[in-house]
Amino acid sequence: MSASWLAMHWPAIAAAAHHADDIPATPVAFRTFTAAEAADVDAIASQIIPTGTTAGAHEAHVVYFIDQAFATFFAARADEYKQALRKFQSSFQAAHAGGTFAAAARADQIACLKTLDSGEFFQTTRLLTVLGLVASPKYGGNYQTVGWKLMGFDDQHVFQPPFGFYDRDYPGFVAYDSQGRA
Amino acid sequence: MTARTFKPSETVDFVVIGSGAAGGVMARELSGAGHSVVVLEQGPRLGPADFEHDELKYFFLSGITNDPVAHPQTFRSDPSKRAMPLPGANALVYARIVGGSSNHFTANFWRFHAIDFRERSTLGGIAGTGFADWPITYQELEPYYTKVEWDVGVSGLAGASPFDPVRSKPYPMPPLPVKSSGVLFERGARKLGLHPQPAPMAINSQLYNGRPGCIHCGFCMGYGCEVRAKSSSLYTMIPDAEATGRCEVRAESYVFRIAMNDKGRATGVLYFDRDKREQMQKARVVVVCANGGETPRLLLNSSSERFPQGLANSSGYVGKYLMFNQGGGVHATFEHELNEYKSVQVSRILHDFYDSDPKRGFYGGGGIDARIGPQPALWALASGPGVPQWGDEYKARLESFSRSMMSTGHTTSLAVESNSVSIDPELKDAWGIPAIRTTYKDHPDDLSIARFLQDRSVEILDAAGAKKIWKEDVTESSFAVHLLGTCRMGNDPKTSVVDKYHRTHDVKNLFLCDGSSFVTSGRGQPTMTIEALAFRAAEHISRFAKRNEI
Repeated sequence: MSASWLAMHWPAIAAAAHHADDIPATPVAFRTFTAAEAADVDAIASQIIPTGTTAGAHEAHVVYFIDQAFATFFAARADEYKQALRKFQSSFQAAHAGGTFAAAARADQIACLKTLDSGEFFQTTRLLTVLGLVASPKYGGNYQTVGWKLMGFDDQHVFQPPFGFYDRDYPGFVAYDSQGRA
Repeated sequence: MTARTFKPSETVDFVVIGSGAAGGVMARELSGAGHSVVVLEQGPRLGPADFEHDELKYFFLSGITNDPVAHPQTFRSDPSKRAMPLPGANALVYARIVGGSSNHFTANFWRFHAIDFRERSTLGGIAGTGFADWPITYQELEPYYTKVEWDVGVSGLAGASPFDPVRSKPYPMPPLPVKSSGVLFERGARKLGLHPQPAPMAINSQLYNGRPGCIHCGFCMGYGCEVRAKSSSLYTMIPDAEATGRCEVRAESYVFRIAMNDKGRATGVLYFDRDKREQMQKARVVVVCANGGETPRLLLNSSSERFPQGLANSSGYVGKYLMFNQGGGVHATFEHELNEYKSVQVSRILHDFYDSDPKRGFYGGGGIDARIGPQPALWALASGPGVPQWGDEYKARLESFSRSMMSTGHTTSLAVESNSVSIDPELKDAWGIPAIRTTYKDHPDDLSIARFLQDRSVEILDAAGAKKIWKEDVTESSFAVHLLGTCRMGNDPKTSVVDKYHRTHDVKNLFLCDGSSFVTSGRGQPTMTIEALAFRAAEHISRFAKRNEI
């Protein structure tokens, strides 16, 4: 990377650095969920992207992202979602002797979600879980960029080739002859 | 330098509506030819420092696009049904900022082939469609494709494909560096006897025209370029136009009506300024480059006693023959890392299946490219039959992101009369302007060619050694970013809206130039052709103006 290259790109790099601020250190209090609602949403998200040897939705603070989303850019759908969530909670508890989804065994949680994973409540939760995993951390999820680390995504502004394994030893484009043969 | 400004009450030579791919070229060429020009752009003016790597904002919160709250639209696939707003989305999506969709395009800059302009006379008619030849040929447009490549800035390798149409000049810049997806795609395709080639892209591969080469950040498709390496109108045509001292680009100026006098001539345009105050910009000539959705909307919303079915609509074809381009994605995972999120979206394409082949049993053709899937969130949300949606298997899929790529088809859409942009009878936007109603259902052949090319992608990826391959569903379109065909050009005023010089058949000093002028859809990647049309139209329009023939 030459000095002239840097000079040419400096304004862009400065701009990029500017965008990288604004990452919250620790989660704030919930803005739309009660503690019980947050626990259940966290548990659902944790079945969508489970924690294993690597981080999952829980470590990414997906539930904080979802809570923020309904307080801000998804506010128009907050009431509808909360109603669906309460319905989900009450029907789960009715079928499990009053036990909450969050407190249920993993197998019971999975069995429950399998019965409703094509429905709107689950699909909305899934959409928000995925966004909470990999959207910019400034929205409250993707905590410490664990979502990007999980996917192997590196949020840099400048890359140089080779970009991956297969373009390392590319010999160059070989032209076709007049019959279209290489 | 400070660009020239004009008062709305001052009668300028040209008012250009829209500052995107076509409007930018039009502004530069007309002002460069000595005319005074005011460009009115709906959206704000942003610069490189305003653009961000923020997938949520750009793809889910209408970061720079027409948002469904302030600019709502309705959609239906069945013309007999009532159109409804799509939940949280618009059917016709475009970037609503200075430079228009040339800011957020992926920058695939294929030229159309000669066949695209005379396909109807080559193949014959197709029942139930408005399949037609263009009134111009590839040969007529070739000098302007070359102008796009050199004046706007396109990188590529001339003569790399045996299917390339004839060209008068090589590209001004070498192709961008190949990516792992390009290497694998090329390997697989060559094994099958196909002819992959470096992708022509409107992105600088090196310092060109005072703009830097790409730094490979990877955020092209859907984003504004943060370093000015993408050859957007914002960074190319518009600064050139302003530098003439004869052009003003007025942002946040939302045109809602073309003003007419009792002689049937346009006198200017009515618009809302940034404070939602009504203004009128007077002009000798009106050129609408507002895109294939907004251009017909403006004409239809400009109806009057004299033009009861909309301005320049004596044919009845304003808004009709909307075409989107189809295509289908195929995902593949390989053993080692590709890191497709780095660098431009596409580095290899092939045109072996470009032409329609009657032996396939349906009309259509297209190109295939090797590409990044989108950035992480959209990639994670992509789905197809049998692809896990949640749980441990889904997480494993997410963990394969850096080892994955896509191959995508870019295909034809037939012109079907009922596919259209019209005015919703009830819905209005935040300015009180009647909203776009889109009616669209893909012709069955459009879906067939998309699936056909998906199968070719599968073969290529398999030959490249993919460990796992899956196809996205090819489904009927409910939204589009390629907005084509809605004010088609033609020689016959009964069946077209503009003539071969983009002049409306009905109003002598009203011209339309953008995706709406298209007669056929091409095989995706329309922006190159939109810009070539704009260079050609501007040359003729300026000539008409100088000869007092407008």
